[in-house]
Amino acid sequence: MIGVDVGGTFTDVVASRNGRIEVTKVPTDVVVPQRAVLEGARRLGVQDMPVFNHASTHGLNAVITRRLPKIGFLTTEGHRDMLDAGRCIRPRAGLTDASWHRGFSDAARPLIPRYLRRGVRERIMADGTILTPLDEDDARRHLELLGRCGVEGVAICTINSYVNPVHEQRLRELVREVLGEIPVSASSDVSPLAKEYTRASTTVVDVFMHFIYSDYAADLDAGLADLGFTGQLNFADCAATLMSREHALAQPYRIVFAGPAAGTVSCQRYGALAGVPDLICCDVGGTSTDISLVVRGEAFVNDTFELEHDLVINALSTEVSSVGAGGGSIISVSPSGDILVGPASAGADPGPACYGRGGEAPTLTDACLLMGILDPDAFAAGEMPLEVARSEAAFAALDAPVPPERRVNMAYRVAVNNIAEEITNIAIRHGLDTRDFTLMAYGAAGPMVLPATLDLLRAKRVVVPPHPGLFSALGLLSTDLVYTESRSAYVVLDDDAAPRLAAIYADMETRLRERIGAEAEHATIRRSFDGRLVGQSWEMPFVPVLDGPVTEQTVAAMLERFHAEYEERWGQRFDALGVQAATYRVELVVPADKVDYPEPGTTGERDAPVAAEIELRHFAPDGAALPAKVYERATLRQGHRLVGPAIVREPLCTTIVCPGQIAEIGALGEIVIEALASTEEKA
Amino acid sequence: MWSFPRPEEPTLSVTREPVDGTCPNCGGHDIAAYPVVSEGGWWDVVKCQTCLTSLRRTRGPRLGSYRPLGAPREA
Repeated sequence: MIGVDVGGTFTDVVASRNGRIEVTKVPTDVVVPQRAVLEGARRLGVQDMPVFNHASTHGLNAVITRRLPKIGFLTTEGHRDMLDAGRCIRPRAGLTDASWHRGFSDAARPLIPRYLRRGVRERIMADGTILTPLDEDDARRHLELLGRCGVEGVAICTINSYVNPVHEQRLRELVREVLGEIPVSASSDVSPLAKEYTRASTTVVDVFMHFIYSDYAADLDAGLADLGFTGQLNFADCAATLMSREHALAQPYRIVFAGPAAGTVSCQRYGALAGVPDLICCDVGGTSTDISLVVRGEAFVNDTFELEHDLVINALSTEVSSVGAGGGSIISVSPSGDILVGPASAGADPGPACYGRGGEAPTLTDACLLMGILDPDAFAAGEMPLEVARSEAAFAALDAPVPPERRVNMAYRVAVNNIAEEITNIAIRHGLDTRDFTLMAYGAAGPMVLPATLDLLRAKRVVVPPHPGLFSALGLLSTDLVYTESRSAYVVLDDDAAPRLAAIYADMETRLRERIGAEAEHATIRRSFDGRLVGQSWEMPFVPVLDGPVTEQTVAAMLERFHAEYEERWGQRFDALGVQAATYRVELVVPADKVDYPEPGTTGERDAPVAAEIELRHFAPDGAALPAKVYERATLRQGHRLVGPAIVREPLCTTIVCPGQIAEIGALGEIVIEALASTEEKA
Repeated sequence: MWSFPRPEEPTLSVTREPVDGTCPNCGGHDIAAYPVVSEGGWWDVVKCQTCLTSLRRTRGPRLGSYRPLGAPREA
């Protein structure tokens, strides 16, 4: 198996072969990203690989930067501005700023400019009846105009088409007649769900992704074939579940953003193997820290994904929050003299001052270098020597009232506190206590920062998994193939509901099985629905539905499960009120092989071989140097214990074990760090 | 008190004034001037009616044709 995670700075490539894990990092080519993917594939070899799993943020980047082709949008007459109106939700900054207003007709940066959004005379009612028949002459007139404007694709979203798609289907035929074989997506095919704005934005993004991923996948196919790959190419979606190339390209909006969720999946896999079900997943990269939660082995999943403010798509996505603290986060001084870390980042180019590529501002990486956590001669497997003098000069140049000798320590502490604060916020938001959780530390910068949060979070332990710098990519080797269908229909869950719900689920499951073919024989089906109390406007998603025939007992179980979930999520229970189901979801899960972590073996000894002894500077608040032992991770075996302060080095990552902490190597090769006091209590 | 008759037209539309000229994009001669609401608000535009290329765009009144009560009347 091979997994590729295309990041903004590096493309991470991992392979699991004969029980071994092989890894490599290739600088991402932002213009032609498939080059880095193929270079990574060449380095690790793909000839004997049965699957090639791929994740990237390529689609999201294209949307954010608006590097998009010109497409048209057809909708019901009078609704051409639905893409601008959005959901009328203010961003967080707007909640405390009375002067904030959505730009008039929004739209400083529309995905489709207004003149290419055309309203066609037609109208379907909420019950599916036709109020105004489709005016085909009017539709042709608009399409001919769009043709003269040079559109390369068309998105179609008419009012209530999720109930009755007949007008959208005819409009799709008319697009073909008038404009020829150009990419066209209709909302009733792409995402037949209620609420027209999200349906429309999903459909628009789907058309764009057709352009972006069709050529990309073709290049990837050809390149991999040249390298001798004959297996199956899979793409990861916003929840890091996989689907085959053909299905991904049939619904390309689902793969607009994959990558951060893969880290969460990787943590789930580790948790399942190690028997640790409650995890805080923390990926500290170059620019930001991505945080997600796994509770009882399950990640938090959202029913939509927000590409930017109020630009949402109907795609299942793992809930990942970010805070602007990473290895490249720039350290600055506020007007009142406080040391700040991030959110600005030096990125990879010019990068931290110590890279010697022109960056002059100090970063978190510079702080770690000056503290002695990073070895200037061993960074990036020794391929990129770091310049200590440049880091010192960058910190000395800060215009701060803090004495120079304390700036490094303060910067490191601020970064640690920023991350710990965000983790605490997320845990509280979900009603969880960090003391019940294990903190997973990964990402290239995670293990050199996150152990220091242990005192603040009071988490049970910090775990640094094997290959922490490429741990997210390993998530692509830790997940199943998942095919989904969803549909909306407002049905009150009463005595008469069973036949209608049975028809909806049966139709979706039949369509899924037809799409997937023989693979469906080995699949398991997961059903759920989004429901609300009668009279509410918004639904509670993902209420589980029983397997088997949908009967009155199934509906009764749906009702009971809804009330139980409602009480668990919102703390209230309203048994006397009716429940209305709105959206129905089916997931067909095809099991896939997953990565196994090779056991590190054991020497039967507690003491690990010490590679060197150094002094940690700027670590203690009083500035005193701390003697610390340095270990090479490759020499560590199960049962080895390291007492902090200690440093563990590996080619692409460095781990710190802080004073007052003790680390032990686990059965999967992971470094388990706990507070010394807590281990003494256990003893 | 003002009274307004029931409108005769099924929909509202702006008056488009024909303008002499040639479209630099498609070479068409069907050019018209009229107000549009577009990205950034109201604009007075001169557009090719064949390919919708804008030959001229000048910012229009902030609220378009709507005049709030109490606003000074135009001379």
